[in-house]
Amino acid sequence: MSMSQPTEPATDGAAATEEAKITTAETEKKADEVVEEEEEEEEYVVEKVLNRRVVKGKVEYLLKWKGFSNSEDNTWEPEENLDCPDLIAEYLQKQKSAHEGKRKAVGDADGDESKSKKKKDDNEKLRGFARGLEPERIIGATDSTGELMFLMKWKHSDEADLVPAKEANVKCPQVVISFYEERLTWHSYPSEDEKKEEKN
Amino acid sequence: MPTTSIGGDERISKFKNKGKDLAKLREKRITECVELRKAQKENFFKRRNISLSSLPEDEALSPENGTVSFRIEDIIRDVNCDDRQAQTRGCQAARKLLSKDHDPPMKKIVDAGLLSRFVSFLSLDDEPTLQFEAAWALTNIASGTSWHTQQVVNHGAIPAFINLLTSPMLHIVEQAVWALGNIAGDGAAYRDVLIECNVIPALLAHISPDAPVGFLRNLTWTLSNLCRNKNPCPPMSAVNQMLPSLMQLLHLSDKDILSDACWAISYLSDGSDDRIDVVVKTGIVPRLVELMNNKELCVMTPALRSIGNIVSGSDLHTQMAIDAGVLSVLPNLLRHPKPTVQKEAAWALSNIAAGPCKQIQQLITCGLLPPLVEVLKNGDLKSQREAVWAVTNFTSGGNVEQVVQLVKSGALEAIINLLKVKDAKIILVILEAVNNMFLAAEKLGETERLCLFVEQLGGLEQIEMLQNHANEMVYQAAHNLIEKYFSDGDLEEVQVDAMQNGFVF
Repeated sequence: MSMSQPTEPATDGAAATEEAKITTAETEKKADEVVEEEEEEEEYVVEKVLNRRVVKGKVEYLLKWKGFSNSEDNTWEPEENLDCPDLIAEYLQKQKSAHEGKRKAVGDADGDESKSKKKKDDNEKLRGFARGLEPERIIGATDSTGELMFLMKWKHSDEADLVPAKEANVKCPQVVISFYEERLTWHSYPSEDEKKEEKN
Repeated sequence: MPTTSIGGDERISKFKNKGKDLAKLREKRITECVELRKAQKENFFKRRNISLSSLPEDEALSPENGTVSFRIEDIIRDVNCDDRQAQTRGCQAARKLLSKDHDPPMKKIVDAGLLSRFVSFLSLDDEPTLQFEAAWALTNIASGTSWHTQQVVNHGAIPAFINLLTSPMLHIVEQAVWALGNIAGDGAAYRDVLIECNVIPALLAHISPDAPVGFLRNLTWTLSNLCRNKNPCPPMSAVNQMLPSLMQLLHLSDKDILSDACWAISYLSDGSDDRIDVVVKTGIVPRLVELMNNKELCVMTPALRSIGNIVSGSDLHTQMAIDAGVLSVLPNLLRHPKPTVQKEAAWALSNIAAGPCKQIQQLITCGLLPPLVEVLKNGDLKSQREAVWAVTNFTSGGNVEQVVQLVKSGALEAIINLLKVKDAKIILVILEAVNNMFLAAEKLGETERLCLFVEQLGGLEQIEMLQNHANEMVYQAAHNLIEKYFSDGDLEEVQVDAMQNGFVF
């Protein structure tokens, strides 16, 4: 299934025929032939040639039509359908002497260019919050790295990893609080009566 | 730790660990942590095995666990059944196979007819794990050849992925962004299909200062693919939508984001004047010049390319680059250790030298002549080629005084030495430069002096030899030069000591 079609219809109104879009000069010549056409034929006039491309080895030009809007109604037409050699020549001339001496970039930047496609190898090159996952709960803590770190279990992933407590405290304070609450330890203290006795 | 005993009994009675042995609880927690750590290690090793070895699909992995099978038949069965768990299991296995370093079985997965199932999983908003695995698997298939990408698209992936851009789970959005990047990167056709489907606003909506760096990297890369490719260039309306966001991204500091944002600008500025115009109108030029100085090669290279494209535009565009300080950055790049950087810098310089006298004067004032001559003398062939163009453009657009300066800087000597290269085109360009220099000399009535100088540098000998060159245009040009300026005879007898002080008009 091809994505680009060689000829796109100009407007939905006019039934664009497959014939060449002819200039006004030619219109008179072809007047006789019009009768033979089954469909209603309207003449279209090329106002300007805007661009050029090669599709499947064939040259096509982007045309601005007289009386039609720019950009939306512009169409690509195969070279052989066209009969506006002056306009084409004008376009080509413009391209050549756009700026005397200026030369456009030639080809790729020698392989330095960014890849056009990328395969994703693994999820784990990014760590912690940078993975973009939602924290589920903290399952451990350590400060062996020099700063306090939490071992974080993430939602929808079985890979837990370390995040700085400083970051977690801000990004998921409730999760941090749960972690601490689960680990509260209570020390036994002297009863009320014993305390009163000490004071005395 | 709370210590008060007021109301303590009541609170103690509510405490979940009441009555439990504290020491035992602690022991249990330690054991749990250790186990998790071990499990993590094992998973890590397992992953290595998957990626390093070429995994034969006939072997089931770890049959003892009975969990994961990498056999295609099992994957097909799992993915095709109705049980969500099995589907997830199969999808994940496929994803892992497709994430292998070596030879991922993309065609096999496609031929197994799994793509339509994967695409259907993308719409299951209540099964985010399944969505994610399917998105990842499809991403990797779309990263293959055009055929692979086409298969993914043909199974309806585009609308499905665009829908995922609104998922509440950021990691799923990110995966969709990646997949869409691969599709856009296939070429102008799919790029424009995506643009038609309104992908750009959906992507731009996710740019925010809170976004994680990894996410922004993927986003920027995908945007750059939407700017990429010519014949045709992306529609102007799309370009105008993306430019403001690209500007924002260009002011961040992560090197990968900067690199891809610069590549995007380089694609957008690679075209006709109206394309360059929209780019420079954003006011991005000073930032680009700044980034040309960035210590990271991956940032500096596309920034340089972008500026190179901009100065290949109109004189106005070029002036904007000069005003932004490009001439103070170029000398460093002309002396850069990497040959491709030198080459691109010389190419940019050659385009600036193709401008009006005023800009050529700025080249001289900002000290671009010495590094130019260095490239002519010491650069690699490609860089020398660009530098030669710079000289010729200079001689063509420069006034007499400026051409004199150029000759004084040693450029003539350097290009004469390059007459021995094999590239006929370059020889022609050099001969044109020499011719232009003579035209300037004529205006000052100094042609004879120039002749002597050229001869002293060994240039006459070279040009005489070129009259026998295989290329017709070369021998014509060489012959013309000799005819016009060197045919007075008796030249060889003139003493050389008169020219000991070098060539002075």
